[in-house]
Amino acid sequence: MAETSLRARRGPVTYLLRTFVLAYLAVLVVWPLWEVASRTFAPLEQGAEAGLGAFLERLQDPSVTYAFGLTATCAFWAVVINTVFGVGISLLLTRYRFPGRRVLSVLVDIPMSVSPVVVGLALVLAYSSGQGWFGGVLESAGIFIIGSTPGMIMATAFVSLPLVIREVVPVLEEIGTDAELAASSLGANGWQTFRRITLPSIKWAVVYGVVLSLARSLGEFGAVKIVSPGAELRGETATILIQNRYTNFEEPTAYAAAFVLVLASVLALVVVSLIRKEDRS
Amino acid sequence: MSIEVRGVGKRYGDFVALDDINVSLPTGQLTALLGPSGGGKSTLLRIIAGLESADSGSVDIEGVDATKLPPQKRNVGFVFQHYAVFKHMTVAKNVAFGLEIRKRPKAEVKAKVAELLELVHLSQFAHRLPSQLSGGQRQRLALARALAVEPSVLLLDEPFGALDAQVRKELREWLRRLHDEVHVTTVFVTHDQEEALEVADEIVVINQGRIEQIGTPDQLYDEPANDFVMGFLGAVTRLGPLRLRPHDIEVAVSPGVPGSTPGVVQRALRVGFEVRLTVDVPGQEEPVLVVLSRTHARALDLELGSRVWLSPTTGATAVSVLGLARPEVVSA
Repeated sequence: MAETSLRARRGPVTYLLRTFVLAYLAVLVVWPLWEVASRTFAPLEQGAEAGLGAFLERLQDPSVTYAFGLTATCAFWAVVINTVFGVGISLLLTRYRFPGRRVLSVLVDIPMSVSPVVVGLALVLAYSSGQGWFGGVLESAGIFIIGSTPGMIMATAFVSLPLVIREVVPVLEEIGTDAELAASSLGANGWQTFRRITLPSIKWAVVYGVVLSLARSLGEFGAVKIVSPGAELRGETATILIQNRYTNFEEPTAYAAAFVLVLASVLALVVVSLIRKEDRS
Repeated sequence: MSIEVRGVGKRYGDFVALDDINVSLPTGQLTALLGPSGGGKSTLLRIIAGLESADSGSVDIEGVDATKLPPQKRNVGFVFQHYAVFKHMTVAKNVAFGLEIRKRPKAEVKAKVAELLELVHLSQFAHRLPSQLSGGQRQRLALARALAVEPSVLLLDEPFGALDAQVRKELREWLRRLHDEVHVTTVFVTHDQEEALEVADEIVVINQGRIEQIGTPDQLYDEPANDFVMGFLGAVTRLGPLRLRPHDIEVAVSPGVPGSTPGVVQRALRVGFEVRLTVDVPGQEEPVLVVLSRTHARALDLELGSRVWLSPTTGATAVSVLGLARPEVVSA
């Protein structure tokens, strides 16, 4: 009742607040993004062509397709890794009691609070062939992490690690263990219980977490930047490409790539809101 | 003996949930584990089912030592207070779950599911999701699901606790009838003494991790082993040196019976067909509670302030306040 009465109240304060919020969003989000979109199709730079054709042409540049391909590869593997480990860690956190459980729960959140640049640096320190702890060993085995795709996948996975877990853990806690215990008393073993009872119950949370991870991974810059060689056609992801082109006075290409990333995140938001609807029904 | 529990103990940190429990539950019977919340009865049931492990002692099911067996190998059916139905499966799929896990042929599963849904009166809901069922229907579904795997014992943890009074009463009678039909050894946990007295063949009273008494409903009610059992199975009041049930007190409006205690009616509360009197007795701090039928109360023409004379009814179960272990039966 209180909520409806609040919503129904329409005084000057309400309108003032609304105007303020809309203006805030416009200045902070809508206007800058609009600028990206308009520059994508109508660059101000001299000699740059405008229109959809030019936009598509810029995206077909080999270095641009390489960059998006690399971003997709990194994002894909990071999401796969985080989904498997995310669900695993979530089950560990909610279904088992062990010493260090709370420490683990805090550790899982670290990637959210630590700057991605620091994550990148940490990975370099741990895995680079020169000074890294594991780098030397891995190098002698012929595996190079830093400056190659595995390192970039690791950096992306590190940064987006908590997203699946933070979606799945509350759902696991909410559904409780009764249904799982019932399944085991009916003869199901651990895997059967997970496959047939737990997984269907957390399905939407997992999908939601995957979409969020994917969006986060596609846009990852800081951590990847540190571990990647970052040169054209050599470790240059979409975000790094945007940075490089922008600083090299090739703004139209940077805008085109940026616009694609914006589209991707809008798509992710649409998918997420559809999932929310599905989940509620 | 279908279930043999020997020396089972369980602690949660400093809290002793179960302390050296020994009990045998015979095949084919309907047994109630009765006791107050937190008394350990649910823990005992979960240990029998293998959902929790005992710190000490052993559990045999049908002659097999099940102490170390995981729940899926014990062949027990378990029904939870909050149904624990599989929300994403239809009613029929829920019931079929245990059979599908056991990889039974499709035709057999189908026939068995149909038979069980018939038994629990849910045939017309076979293709619905559990969210479209009422609480009572969900619990019947959970029962059918547990029975599908033909368990050697059926364990129910406060099965009707989450249902409203009317449905609870219905399901209680229905459970009794169902048990008479299928004859599977059944153990159910309840904190409702009426439920236990009405449904069970045998009652195990558990309090503070210990068994207070084991017996038939009549034994428990008529010969409670101690004060706790007497108090838990029904209302108890004090009349002079005795503790007895409020309906076991005779009320007279004249000092006819020798040795009767005089008092004054302080309060008269009518609840349905019965009248509950609060009687002040000189020389006794707490008032005496008396329950009598409305007809009887009307015949005596009782009202507030009436002087009454109280005496224990012939054959009343009473325990001496001074703490005699055995209850005594008041003779005429």
